[in-house]
Amino acid sequence: MHIDLPIAPHGLRRLALSISFAALSAFAAVSPAQAQNEGPILVVSGPLSWPFFAAVKQGFDDAAELYGVDYQYIAVTDTANMTSEYPRLLQQAISRSPSILLVGEFFPDGMDPLIKEATDQGIPVIIHNSGQTLWEQNGSLGFIGEDPYQMGHKAGQIQAESGVTKGLCFNQVPGNPTVEARCTGYIDAMTEAGAATVYQTIGTGEAANQQAMMQAIMGTLQANADIDGIYTLNAEPAISALRAVQDVGRAGKISIGTADLSNEVLEAIKAGDIAFAMDQQPYLQGYLSIQSAVLYSRYGLHPIGAVTTGPLVIDSTNVDKTLEVNRKFSGVRGAS
Amino acid sequence: MRNLLRRPEFGAIAAFLVTYLFFALTTTAAGFVSINGTAGWLNLAAELGIIAIPVGLLMISGEFDLSIGSTVGAASMVVAIGTNFLGVPIWPMIGLALIMGALIGVINGLVVVKTGVASFIVTLATNFVVLGATMGVSRLIANVTSSSIVSDPAAKFLFSARWGQANISILWWMAVALTGAYVLSRTSFGNWIFATGGNLVAARGAGVPVERVKITLFVCTGIAAAFVGVLQGVQWNSGNATYGMGYVFQAPIVAVIGGVLLGGGYGSVVGIVIGTAIFGVISTGIFYTGWSTDWIQLFLGLLLGGAVLANNYIRRFALSAPRG
Repeated sequence: MHIDLPIAPHGLRRLALSISFAALSAFAAVSPAQAQNEGPILVVSGPLSWPFFAAVKQGFDDAAELYGVDYQYIAVTDTANMTSEYPRLLQQAISRSPSILLVGEFFPDGMDPLIKEATDQGIPVIIHNSGQTLWEQNGSLGFIGEDPYQMGHKAGQIQAESGVTKGLCFNQVPGNPTVEARCTGYIDAMTEAGAATVYQTIGTGEAANQQAMMQAIMGTLQANADIDGIYTLNAEPAISALRAVQDVGRAGKISIGTADLSNEVLEAIKAGDIAFAMDQQPYLQGYLSIQSAVLYSRYGLHPIGAVTTGPLVIDSTNVDKTLEVNRKFSGVRGAS
Repeated sequence: MRNLLRRPEFGAIAAFLVTYLFFALTTTAAGFVSINGTAGWLNLAAELGIIAIPVGLLMISGEFDLSIGSTVGAASMVVAIGTNFLGVPIWPMIGLALIMGALIGVINGLVVVKTGVASFIVTLATNFVVLGATMGVSRLIANVTSSSIVSDPAAKFLFSARWGQANISILWWMAVALTGAYVLSRTSFGNWIFATGGNLVAARGAGVPVERVKITLFVCTGIAAAFVGVLQGVQWNSGNATYGMGYVFQAPIVAVIGGVLLGGGYGSVVGIVIGTAIFGVISTGIFYTGWSTDWIQLFLGLLLGGAVLANNYIRRFALSAPRG
């Protein structure tokens, strides 16, 4: 069987020409706010298939609309090779000479040298979400986000104080250093308090399979009859953990805490089935990033020092307000 | 006895027994062999198995479908957005999700048979297109990429009923398996599947409507993937664009473990079911051992590789044995 290519070589050239024409006319039509600078505002941030980053983007969108600026959101669509994809995306963004660059430094080994390169070239960079320990050294203007280690550490402290003696940290995306740092923090805090810990991962590619996560947690609970606390790193595994705890017949005996929110997690907190969720307030990360970018490029103003957006601990005391906001403004709290 | 050895699933059954025994012995205290432990790995296998059977049949006909991953997520989001944001009752949305799955299958099938481009490439492209479209449309309508599902009691029963800890998905898996086995071994359509994958030119010469066979099978994989998307969505009360991504390679893997030839023309539904069961046992059982989970991928890889090799070896041995 032979294959007819739809585009002959001269057709390809014509296609390339028309694409560059389209790009040129797009440049000609930039808004006044951008025209003062050479390039666009570029944002390299997390995958939008995660509710968390959907909320970050909502923050970018709302602030951009408020200040009347345009920006472009760049992220991976396929989360399988993020560690190598993100440096590539960042490199492409830098080569477009943005007027200001807003970056989530998820994978420091590959991304930090590139950020240094950008700041050396004089591109103003603001880091959001991840990279709290690095932003000063790589020449960035500021950092808006949370320290994943501190978030995990806080979770460990809360569980240890509530009497957990053996805690399980369940990581559904093994190999992701940011997420892993939460487990490290959790394990450190538990160890400091004299409690035992178990660290558990699952196969890559199962990060969205709640049945697989549930069965994995069940197995680990069966193999460790003395586990009395679970910390999960996202809202979906939290629900898997909740059902696993119920199925092994240890509901009420195992305390569950999680990072990030969903409606279901919030309802479970309300019902007393999940003890707490740690909100790093993703919307704020996006909103404050655009705000800082605009204030810097217009007036040269920027915050001194890291701006910490999390964790805000959500438990039975403040869950009602969160649920109410979530119903009224879909996507803003990062729960859906 | 020799006839039994000659069946394509014999190697898979042997591999299943070996892996099951392995975990039964290494997880003695943890209850992996209990009724609840068994329900656990069956629940996991069932959801994969509902997709793996049509994918296996498609592979027997000589084609691949990698778009199943994003079809699962898309179907769950269709139901979630429709019920949660547009206020539509769940049943029309389930119907729409299944129709969407069928349409994705029709498009895959038509592109493959009309262009002759390898289905591996065509459906890989469709996988990205569907994922991107799901995320884009979800954001446009509801500003989210995952969302709660508003269900009703009948839907809850059909898709997430439980007896003890065994999910209704196990029954759906069995139903799909029985249908698949019947079609493959008892109908002329089943013969056409083997003929299409075995020797396309000869099959066409013999009057087999090979294009119709392929398109029909693509439609089946699309519907099965959408069905699992609905099932997972109702079960977990939420839709997510990335549901199902793990199945993209798990489904063909379990078909191969179950004796389906990658090149097409050979395989059985019982084999695919056993292959899926092996996968369920390995990927669940490993957690009951209490070993460090950093090694999980290594174990999974070694055990899967071992299962396929054992399976191949036994099949070759059985086929080469002198006739008695």
